[in-house]
Amino acid sequence: MRQIRPRQNYLGVGGWVWAGNYKLERYLYILHRVTGLGILLFLLVHLIVTTFFRIQGQEVWEKAMTVLNNPLFKTGEFLVAVAFVYHALNGLRLLLQELGLLMAKPIPPIYPYSDSLRKKRLWTMAIIGIIIILCLVFFYDFIVGGW
Amino acid sequence: MRYTYLWLMQLVTGVLIAVLLGIHMVMQHLEDILGFFRVNLNDPASWQSMIERSRQVIWAGIYIALLAVVLYHALNGLRNVILELTPSVRTERVVTRVIVAFGIIIFAWASYVPIALLSR
Repeated sequence: MRQIRPRQNYLGVGGWVWAGNYKLERYLYILHRVTGLGILLFLLVHLIVTTFFRIQGQEVWEKAMTVLNNPLFKTGEFLVAVAFVYHALNGLRLLLQELGLLMAKPIPPIYPYSDSLRKKRLWTMAIIGIIIILCLVFFYDFIVGGW
Repeated sequence: MRYTYLWLMQLVTGVLIAVLLGIHMVMQHLEDILGFFRVNLNDPASWQSMIERSRQVIWAGIYIALLAVVLYHALNGLRNVILELTPSVRTERVVTRVIVAFGIIIFAWASYVPIALLSR
């Protein structure tokens, strides 16, 4: 079978963070990637705690929990919560837009011109709003829970 | 076609994770807000609460299923990020094999633990 190669990424590593003069969605994409890699890193740490420490019994677990309850790790936990909220909701937006939802129907380019992106941007802003509200909810609970 | 199926799986696992980890995050982090709705989970990260869960087969099943879904989503995402550098076919194959091997090792160990904990 013939191998179909994607177009070459001439920018190399720079293409991960910079791909030209794009607008808001491009920055959301970078943030999506950063939060995804951050959650992956957390997942590995989380798996170490919930397997190696968990299987050694109560004492090791409770010692690990006292270490993890200091404010520094709490801040990290909050960042993971924010990253999760962002990655989940932005991923939902990407999924729906991949399926052609949350945007206007494409029409032929006949005067007066209209584009399908305007409505898309509105939904994008709405989802950013939901992300901010959920982050504030988590922030409130972290504050009330004594950080 | 293969790439399309990998991406479709990424979407499906993404939705599953959004639901399951959403529940997980609410249970672990929003105890004060759950308390406002008169739900009390008695600190799900405490030892007592954990051994009650880990002795039930259904919870071991949930953990292993969640592990498989999350590992697929995370490692396929990592692979996509790396392959955006458009390496040669040979490098791509090496990347794929390393990531698959890494995933299998983590899955084997981390799914052994809930099974071993069933009888403790």
